[in-house]
Amino acid sequence: MLARVANNLFWMGRYIERSEHIARYMNVNYFSSLDAPNQISQDRQFVLRSMLFMVGDPEKDLNKTLQENEVLYKLGVDPDFGSSILNNVKQARENANSARDLISTELYEAINKFYHFVLNYPKEVFVKSGLHDFTTNIAEMSAILRGKIRGTLLHDSVYAIILMGVNIERATQITRIINSKYNDALLAQGSYEDGFSKSFEWSTLLKCAESYDMMRRFYKKTPTSISTLEFLILNPNCPRSVMNSLNQVYKHVKLLNPEKRYNKESTAFLIGRVRAEYEYKYIEEIEQDIKSFIENILRSLEEISNKVDEEFFNY
Amino acid sequence: MTNYPIFTSTMSKEYTVTYSSDNVYENWVYDAYWQFLIMPFENESQEILDIDFKNSLHTINEFSVNGYGFKTIRVQSKKKFKNVTFEGRFKVLKSEIKEPPIPSRAEILKSYEEINSLTFKVNFQRFLKTTGLTTLPIGNKPLFKFDNITSIIENLHSLNNWVYQHLHYLTGVTDISSTLEKVLSQQSGVCQDFAHVFCALARYNGIPARYVSGYLNHESGYVGDSQMHAWAEAFVPDFGWLGFDPTNNIIENSNHIKVSHGKDYNDCSPLKGVVHSQGNHKTNHSVVVKNHQQQIQQ
Amino acid sequence: MTNIENQIFSSYQKNPDLYDEIYDSEGNVKDVYQKLFDIYGGHSIQDYVNLNSKAKSSFFNQGITFQVYGEDNVQEKIFPFDLFPRIIDPDEWDIIERGSIQRAKALNLFLWDIYHDKKILKDNIVPLELISSSANYLDQMNGVDPPGGIYNHISGTDIIKHKDGKYYVLEDNIRCPSGVSYVICNRTALKRALFGVFNHYQTHTVTDYAENLLEQLESVKPKGVDIPNCVVITPGMFNSAFYEHSYLAKNMGVELVEGRDLFVENDFVYMKTIKGPERVDVIYRRIDDGFLDPLEFRPDSALGVPGLFAAYKKGNVTLANAPGTGVADDKAVYTYMPEIIKYYLKEEPILNNVHTYHCSRPDELEYVLENISELVIKPVDEAGGYGISIGNRLSKQEIEEVRKQVKETPRKYVAQPIMSLSVHPTYIDESESFEQRHVDLRTFTILGKDDEFVLKGGLTRVALKKGNLIVNSSQGGGSKDTWVLKKQ
Repeated sequence: MLARVANNLFWMGRYIERSEHIARYMNVNYFSSLDAPNQISQDRQFVLRSMLFMVGDPEKDLNKTLQENEVLYKLGVDPDFGSSILNNVKQARENANSARDLISTELYEAINKFYHFVLNYPKEVFVKSGLHDFTTNIAEMSAILRGKIRGTLLHDSVYAIILMGVNIERATQITRIINSKYNDALLAQGSYEDGFSKSFEWSTLLKCAESYDMMRRFYKKTPTSISTLEFLILNPNCPRSVMNSLNQVYKHVKLLNPEKRYNKESTAFLIGRVRAEYEYKYIEEIEQDIKSFIENILRSLEEISNKVDEEFFNY
Repeated sequence: MTNYPIFTSTMSKEYTVTYSSDNVYENWVYDAYWQFLIMPFENESQEILDIDFKNSLHTINEFSVNGYGFKTIRVQSKKKFKNVTFEGRFKVLKSEIKEPPIPSRAEILKSYEEINSLTFKVNFQRFLKTTGLTTLPIGNKPLFKFDNITSIIENLHSLNNWVYQHLHYLTGVTDISSTLEKVLSQQSGVCQDFAHVFCALARYNGIPARYVSGYLNHESGYVGDSQMHAWAEAFVPDFGWLGFDPTNNIIENSNHIKVSHGKDYNDCSPLKGVVHSQGNHKTNHSVVVKNHQQQIQQ
Repeated sequence: MTNIENQIFSSYQKNPDLYDEIYDSEGNVKDVYQKLFDIYGGHSIQDYVNLNSKAKSSFFNQGITFQVYGEDNVQEKIFPFDLFPRIIDPDEWDIIERGSIQRAKALNLFLWDIYHDKKILKDNIVPLELISSSANYLDQMNGVDPPGGIYNHISGTDIIKHKDGKYYVLEDNIRCPSGVSYVICNRTALKRALFGVFNHYQTHTVTDYAENLLEQLESVKPKGVDIPNCVVITPGMFNSAFYEHSYLAKNMGVELVEGRDLFVENDFVYMKTIKGPERVDVIYRRIDDGFLDPLEFRPDSALGVPGLFAAYKKGNVTLANAPGTGVADDKAVYTYMPEIIKYYLKEEPILNNVHTYHCSRPDELEYVLENISELVIKPVDEAGGYGISIGNRLSKQEIEEVRKQVKETPRKYVAQPIMSLSVHPTYIDESESFEQRHVDLRTFTILGKDDEFVLKGGLTRVALKKGNLIVNSSQGGGSKDTWVLKKQ
């Protein structure tokens, strides 16, 4: 496989995954806030700011009153905002276009349909009443794409590269979501009795990661800061956890480079190291300094991505 | 190569030509590819004794052949850099050029017949056709017309002299893309322009002519570019290609070291490159021709 | 036979001056079309409206689109597809196929000759001026022996049927002829929409193109290579034919590369893969000569590969089509095709050439200048239907302008009598009915080392605008599925 095309497939995977997380974050935050148990969490400004924070474009001016339709437009369908869902899907499709001779017709058609859906979604409807419909469709279509990736591609290097992209992005987005909700929980803690650790925001966080039901089944208790973070970061059996994503990346890089030899320069080695670090962490350690933990994990993920780039895409 | 061949009665000169090029870029260059067309050509009068080429990036120098069959040196770099220097050193043995004999009356007639034949025009079409750099300005009366009474070789000598008389050697008034219209109207230029005018007028008179790029022995006192000199070759029926240096009003001799020929400068440009870089860059080329072993004679 | 109750054709207007592909001169449906005509008549017009929109969205979802560059945005469009197939009976096809091969072979011999001994020029069959003034003649190709002796591996021949019922060739495309992917997509779309009709006809398949292409490309591998590694090179995904490039790569099972994926080292070509460099032996190139190698041709080309030409000249890689083939699809060379065929093959041309006036010849120029209103004036070196003036469509003032242009640069123009392209019933969106539209046919011929192949089908292009004669997709043309029937 061409190094350039591999790079495109990797990013195709990343963009598909990214658009889904943004969509779900918007959906869950918006609709959970409507009947949130406290004022801050219910506050529309609070929710809109959280959305902007999550995509990495936080509103710095604390006194500014955000317009709901403007923020929704920007994050959802603004062709001029690089991180909008529209642009993510567009990027996914452009990357697929350049590699369409390598991916299955079924996968390509599904991506293409996805793109046309987003592109043609009436923008006025979206900002007024379409948020739920739009974001649910995004989530469902990306689930279809994941199915097509798994079911219509030979499980060889093309597949491995796409799934490495998907999983690195998933770990990154989950971490970013944790970061936003952690930030929200800090901001909202004043209005609770047991402020931070039992914040309503933890449930929202789990829902953003589609992990609320799994988590309830596992702990059988109301989510707290510790249990939520433990579940989303360290639990290897939660398909959305950072740990699980790292395991997936490791598994797929081994498909690309099955070499068993000790090679400290390889991507596999680096992923293995990062994975080992989190495998033997316990949550109390993390809780002491969540902020630097988040920074560290984002840095590690970036390093892995760069390493992939260096080893496979940059002949 | 250490074994020098044994020479016959012709006079030969041994030269060392040193071509160097210094390049400084304002920003990092990540990807670059150069092709040098600077190696002396091997033919009856030129023999290459030694080749040495270095680049400061310490990447491999590849030897290849360009589309017109001339030997090139290629360098590609995948490491980033801001400065790069190249140095080529060529040892050449140049022997005196044979001149064609004076033709008889019958031979003169035959030669004009030949150049007018279709077969001749087809065989030499590449060096008979006009190119962008050898297009004569339209509308004027012919600048130089052959006299069919005298031989082609004599006419070519006259043309050589005409170009030499008509143009003044002046640097800085033309560049590598100057048209003949400009050169002829200002009546000045450098050796490239002299060669282009010669080629254009020879072709106009039905004689195949080609642009030649090479080195000039600066110690000889001849006028020419301090880097690559340019002259021309014309095809003389029953003899072959003969070099004319209109800048000096002489025919090619042992002070000329040929590198390549083509329709015009564009076929012979000594350096072609694909360099991905933003911002300014400075280039400095220099050529030193040393005739270190005066006149070997057997 | 009575077709009066055939409701979808009840409003079909037959212009008696035009040659209709499905009706004979007496106004009866031709035998080969009868069955199709009956079946189509069994549907209501509403069925076609629905089928048509289904077919459209199928093309759209499959991403079979081309880009149209507007002033401030890029639009994706589908190449309009028509539901009524064109049928070519086996005897007629036989002529087209033999004629296409004959032309491709003659052009190949012509190219070999003008890049080697140039006998045809010395014998004054084709004027030297045609070659020496052509911007597409590459001096660098002089004396180069392309692997397998093939220059035009892929030829696209544009053929029309005139009102005299005979086939005429309008153009030979031997640079990078495109359109073959549409032939295959049209078939797929028609099968999906109207599969029933295929039961009544024995039609040749068109899906074997890619495998034949690969086989022939492998046959012209460089010397000393056992199993050649073939690739398709594309200018990139923003090229209007990108879909076709990726289609062909995918169906041949080879890599689709861009210039930046390749590099040359010691005169061998390699591609950059995730596992390091991998040697490339045969390149089906879909970029023009000028862009192949910035060291040899256009220095500003970012699409090409530095050093590619030297590798080619050394015989270490095959380029298909060979560099320099463009000289032979110059429209001025076209006019000498009958002579070229006779000269090399000692055969009479199977397909007719349209008579052509050379504006470079003073006597013919004079005729052209005086008869512009009855002629088609074509620039010699434009592709895609640009710059064509059709005499009887021009206003007086426009005629004057054309006359002026031709007079200024006669070498740039040729003129031909206005040919009347045959018409074919075509479903028209706006009127929701079938109407007559002009059609042509592009055949695809592949030459290999010892073998040749003509795709049994071809691209029938339709000029969708009423009365329009220009069928190019860039000028608003559509296309039809084309059935070549098997011999009974």
